[in-house]
Amino acid sequence: MGVLLSVENLVTQFSTSSGLVRAVDGVSWDVLEGETVALVGESGCGKSVSALSIMRLVSEPAGRIVSGRIMFKGRDLLALSAEEMRHVRGREIGMIFQEPMTSLNPVLTIGRQLTEGLEIHLGMTPSAARARATELLSLVGITDGERRLRQYPHQFSGGMRQRMMIAMAVACNPSLVLADEPTTALDVTIQAQILELMQDLSRRLGVAMLIITHNLGVVARYADRVNVMYAGHIIERGTAREIYANPQHPYTYGLLRSVPRLDEPRRERLAPIEGQPPDLTRLPRGCAFMPRCRWRVDRCEAEAPGLRALNGTDHVTACWEAERLVKETRG
Amino acid sequence: MWKYLLKRSLLMIPTLLGVAVVIFFLIRIIPGDVVELRMSGDTGSVSEEILKSERARFGLDKPVWQQFVTWIAGVARLDFGTSMWTGAPIWDEIKLRFALSMQVAVMATLIAVSLAIPLGVIAALKQDSWIDYAVRIFSIAGLATPSFWLGIVFILSLLIIFKWLPPMVYTPFWVDPWQNIQQLIWPALAVGYRYSAVATRMTRSAMLEVLREDYIRTARAKGLWQKLVLWRHALKNAMLPVMTVVGIEFAFLLGGLVVTEQVFNLNGLGLLFVQAVAHRDYTLIQALVMLVAGFTILVNFAMDVMYGWLDPRIRYR
Ligand SMILES: Nc1ncnc2c1ncn2[C@@H]1O[C@H](COP(=O)(O)OP(=O)(O)O)[C@@H](O)[C@H]1O
Ligand SMILES: [Mg+2]
Repeated sequence: MGVLLSVENLVTQFSTSSGLVRAVDGVSWDVLEGETVALVGESGCGKSVSALSIMRLVSEPAGRIVSGRIMFKGRDLLALSAEEMRHVRGREIGMIFQEPMTSLNPVLTIGRQLTEGLEIHLGMTPSAARARATELLSLVGITDGERRLRQYPHQFSGGMRQRMMIAMAVACNPSLVLADEPTTALDVTIQAQILELMQDLSRRLGVAMLIITHNLGVVARYADRVNVMYAGHIIERGTAREIYANPQHPYTYGLLRSVPRLDEPRRERLAPIEGQPPDLTRLPRGCAFMPRCRWRVDRCEAEAPGLRALNGTDHVTACWEAERLVKETRG
Repeated sequence: MWKYLLKRSLLMIPTLLGVAVVIFFLIRIIPGDVVELRMSGDTGSVSEEILKSERARFGLDKPVWQQFVTWIAGVARLDFGTSMWTGAPIWDEIKLRFALSMQVAVMATLIAVSLAIPLGVIAALKQDSWIDYAVRIFSIAGLATPSFWLGIVFILSLLIIFKWLPPMVYTPFWVDPWQNIQQLIWPALAVGYRYSAVATRMTRSAMLEVLREDYIRTARAKGLWQKLVLWRHALKNAMLPVMTVVGIEFAFLLGGLVVTEQVFNLNGLGLLFVQAVAHRDYTLIQALVMLVAGFTILVNFAMDVMYGWLDPRIRYR
């Protein structure tokens, strides 16, 4: 399958009163057609900013995409005019946001918010758009669409709003959907339903997905490939199976130990990673994870490790001591 | 919804009754009454006899509660009686002045809103640009400029530069619209400037807040035109606080333009009010207060209905 989206050396920064925040600091990753890719990491590591950079919706003027390329279907999104970019948003790349409570406009009907994209991007007449909107609602599991279209977001539950967000994101048949923590704000029981729905739609519509999450459980079940992000950098990448079974970075290893796993007998205690993520205005010269790392050596402080493959596969890690970690944790 | 409207209408009655009680008893605390003031204009002393018979003519000799009952019974039939000072029916005293004040209030509101919304929106969109600063200076100057002073500036400028003065005699709109507008546009502008300054600031800050909302980002992520994001998604949300200040100002304008009316030599309700108090013209004062109170309540009522239209989350119970 071809490469749909390829982010190359993306750097996005915010100038704030406490200094320059290097939210995304030279990051590269890609998404193949129809594939589901996960972007995982603790909160504040730059996941949302990565997605917003792709949409070119980073809040200006504080935030700025400083350098890099975002190749989508052979075009660099960062080189498009504002009007060309508008045709990409919603039409070719859909986006789902974290907070279903605040991400829908409270004063416009569901129908209005669902049909406007269809009218603008696909040139549908209002009545055709309404018919399609009813279809879309049933596609995401909301019945009684005719009546639902006339309602307002406050008349929807959190789960239904997120279904509505999904319907909005896939309305114009985009080839990529960016889902920024789509289930974080929802009840656990509803989380699974929403993720199942997204997986189902992705398969049925052939749409590629970027799922942003801090929950590795989500990753294991729903993603084909995983990028683990830490302090604005990708520190490990591989297939979901590989990352889960065979983590090669101390941070990934720590993350996995900090969540309950279904494929293992219950451990007595979960082990959260000690320490705090670093201040993005004052990143160290070497490895950003070093202060929290059990495997650190002198070299980590002096020199930041790049991504490298240990065994010639696509599984890459940014750790000097990855071999030692693998050996010690395997046993 | 209809049930709510009915309920709100019925609730107006106790509110107005409260206003009636307060104004009725409060004005009687001010020393002096209409009889004394009328007689004091005459030379020489007036005998107690005459004062007494005059007071009896207005019913002022009766116990206060009895006067109140008589008055309120009339009010219930929308009969406010006659002016104690001129003897003319209250409604004849008020009619034209009400039309005049109402027209100035409406014109000032139109001027204010049509300036405030575009200016506030542009300033918010271009926050911290020179346009934003220009709008902020415009509105701070508006807040700092008294309307009557601006009125004086208008009159003097017209006189000195154009050798022209607006008509000094009030012509109702339905008699001669052109003459009427020529006279009332100036006070409406003088008042409307300050009014628009208040509304512009509110529009700007409400817009700034709304533009930071998540749903605006969602709208942009859908690839909508910037204009649509603005007018459809942002403005309707930002209008609630703006409508509130517009409503408050509008209700105030009806009876509150005492000095500006004087500057433009307008016989509006504000001036009538001051005269009525000076004359201790109880019936006229009472009628004016009830009129302004009733109007204010109606404006509030209209605002509530408008809120519900702007924000579907608001429910009427
Ligand atoms: N609008 C903004 N202004 C300043 N800093 C921001 C802004 N948005 C994000 N950041 C900073 O960028 C970093 C990454 O944020 P984000 O991508 O939202 O993290 P997450 O991985 O939780 O989604 C954080 O340190 C955050 O403080
Ligand atoms: Mg985030």
